[in-house]
Amino acid sequence: MDNKALSLKAGSFLLLQLLSNLLLCRSVDSLPICPSGAVNCEVSLRDLFDRAVVLSHYIHNLSSEMFREFEQQYAQGKGFITRAINSCHTSSIPTPANKEQAQSIHHEALLSLVLGVLRSWNVPLYHLVTEVRGMQGSQGDILSKAVEIEERNKQLLEGMEKIVGEVFPGVKENEILSVWPGFPSPQAADEDSRLSAFYNLLHCLRRDSHKVDSYLKLLKCRIIYDNNC
Amino acid sequence: MKHQVASTLIPILLLFLSIDLLRGQSPPGKPEITKCRSNEKETFSCWWKPGLDGGLPTNYTLTYHKEGDSVISECPDYKTSGPNSCYFNKKHTSIWTVYVITVNATNQMGSSVSNPHYVDVAYVVEPEPPMNLTLKIKHPEDQKPYLWIKWSSPSLIDISSGWLTLQYEIRLKPEKAAEWETHFAGQQTQFKIFSLYPGEKYLVQVRCKPDHGFWSKWGPENSIQIPNDVTNTDTTVWIFVAVLSVVVCLIMVWAVALKGYSMMTCIFPPVPGPKIKGFDTHLLEKGKSEELLSALGCQDFPSDCEDLLVELLEVVDSENQQLMSANSKEHLDQGVTKSKHLAPHRDSGLGSCDSSSLLSEKYKEPQENPSASHTPEGIKKPESSETNGTHAWGSQNMGLGSQTPYSYASGPPSSTRPSSQLPSLQDATASYHNIADVCKLAMGTPGMLATSLDNTEHRALQPLETAETGGEKKAAEQSEVESFHSETDPDPPLQLVPFISAKPLDYVAIHKISKDGALSLLPKRDNSDQTEKSGALPPSQEYTKVSRVIDDRILVFVQDPGAPNPASSEELVEEPPPSLQENQGEKDVASYTRVPSSFGLQLAGSEYLDPMCLKRSFQ
Repeated sequence: MDNKALSLKAGSFLLLQLLSNLLLCRSVDSLPICPSGAVNCEVSLRDLFDRAVVLSHYIHNLSSEMFREFEQQYAQGKGFITRAINSCHTSSIPTPANKEQAQSIHHEALLSLVLGVLRSWNVPLYHLVTEVRGMQGSQGDILSKAVEIEERNKQLLEGMEKIVGEVFPGVKENEILSVWPGFPSPQAADEDSRLSAFYNLLHCLRRDSHKVDSYLKLLKCRIIYDNNC
Repeated sequence: MKHQVASTLIPILLLFLSIDLLRGQSPPGKPEITKCRSNEKETFSCWWKPGLDGGLPTNYTLTYHKEGDSVISECPDYKTSGPNSCYFNKKHTSIWTVYVITVNATNQMGSSVSNPHYVDVAYVVEPEPPMNLTLKIKHPEDQKPYLWIKWSSPSLIDISSGWLTLQYEIRLKPEKAAEWETHFAGQQTQFKIFSLYPGEKYLVQVRCKPDHGFWSKWGPENSIQIPNDVTNTDTTVWIFVAVLSVVVCLIMVWAVALKGYSMMTCIFPPVPGPKIKGFDTHLLEKGKSEELLSALGCQDFPSDCEDLLVELLEVVDSENQQLMSANSKEHLDQGVTKSKHLAPHRDSGLGSCDSSSLLSEKYKEPQENPSASHTPEGIKKPESSETNGTHAWGSQNMGLGSQTPYSYASGPPSSTRPSSQLPSLQDATASYHNIADVCKLAMGTPGMLATSLDNTEHRALQPLETAETGGEKKAAEQSEVESFHSETDPDPPLQLVPFISAKPLDYVAIHKISKDGALSLLPKRDNSDQTEKSGALPPSQEYTKVSRVIDDRILVFVQDPGAPNPASSEELVEEPPPSLQENQGEKDVASYTRVPSSFGLQLAGSEYLDPMCLKRSFQ
């Protein structure tokens, strides 16, 4: 379970696709360990975790930048932050709020929490991309970042599912799934409300990506390096 | 009564109030929360800036409430982080939670509240600088000494559990330097520096940054003295090597510049071609001052001598011999060329670049023939296209006694060059070259050659190939004579085949080109024995008279007994490469090449003249 190298029977194309993304290299877009088409490919748990950490780090960087850009362009002096409090749809997922709490949670529970957060973001990210595309005067930067985040989030979810499925077979799928209320419809709300909804979404995305990143780094050091990073 | 009391009290109160105001006391100004920072993502502190204190002691209180929590709490610790600060310990810190913080300033007069400040601890992490910075000079065996820098992470940061991931950066500089040299060290806690100045004292600092947060301040400075024996031997060696190579390069460039021309001629020996010698002493003897002066004075670019260059070999049959001989008095002067038109016969330009030295040049190198005719080298390219028109003049026995030089054209413009070539000609041992080629080769200016050859009006004289004969020279020519003026007329050029192709050929020199374009040829005495076919010929003998035409292809030249011996100029061509064998007794009349830039006589040196000069002299 710990540092043993596990051989993965890559029977599915999904696994191959995942493994092509989960690489040892620190760069997000480097060559896959398992060439496409390889049936049997051995990838160690360490490599899987390293790849997952790289992805989560990257996703949070993108979210942070996207939030900052949006704030600069659309939210100056509007006090959107006041309305952003308590606005995250994932607040129902009981994630640890400090290091002690996080360290007291067992691996599987923490992993399932991570999975729950990642899954909860599938739908909102999709709508975020759609809305940003339709936003008036939307900048190409924000849109490209949103598209990238959506893609990488999917990859990270697959990777985590694989890690969990292989390393912790007994982990049940987390039933807690947060439903996102969605954007206010363009007819019902004015521009300010829509911008505020955007602000909230980006604010929550930044936070949740930071959470996932921190948890995965904790788990990596705990599981792979035995708390000796 | 009450009224009286009230009326006295109120003014007194007002008086006190006004006294207070006069003393400058007022409620405190609005404080402002400046920043909140967390060292290790487990605790955090906030600092505020007080407003005007209103002249009275002011009390500050900080209150906050967390996101999703309606309870308002007060700051648990005002002391730990210094004045005007609030420190939240682990118990009071929640990550990924927005804190809404306000500061209240109160004094006797009143109070004022700051704007609320929203902060999430996760985004305000700024660690302390790294600690325990140590510097050491290490001297490993067989390696250069280096500076080894080591440090440790800040004390409170929890790296081993992965809660925070730090990246480091070091900077160093010699003590007196102005700029720091910064190096990124990643996640490692040590670093090696190899490029050091011996004898200097270095200052080193290090700082760190969490995975999502701010850079710390630079840590305390540490210094180390580099001992003098830490030499950069590699650098010295490389500097020495670099200087040496620069010197060598400079010498080579200088040598090439100086000897460039001779090197070029070594590598690409110039093709022999007719040469027009500088001063034609014949003119002097004859007192033909006009021609002499005109020969000397030919300076202009041959804008009006466009029809100068030889394009055709004029075949003059016996009927015209008298006409030719009458016009053969003129010697080709070195400097002046004028277009000679054998108008009654055909259009012909004058291939007025005749040079005995040029002639023999290439002919001694049979191997050049194919290359000359086939390979489209830069120099030889135009020639190859025109090699169809390689002409061979008769052997040394060709008499140039008559003053009827013949001009012949070498070939059509390269663009309209017919593909047909005389194989026999090509198979001849001698190589045919466009005289202009040769001239240019000698001059070492292939570009000009190309230019001249591209000029459709320039038909350089082909070098003559001397064929051994028993006393007659035969020149093979094609039946068609190219029109000098017909640029598009792909007439096959006049070609001369050696009389006897089996044997090594003698060369004749084009002695001169007469006024009307006739060539006067001189036998060339080569160093080989084969050249003396008909005995030693006086160098001044010329074969200028065409006795007959054989097969419509071959010109037979004989000496013209009636022609005075021309005393051609004795100047030798210096430029032809050593392979060129010149008869010492031979006189090079002149050689020319098309020199667009300099059109003038050359009395010495290469002796190559612009064909326009030559042409003009004939008019």
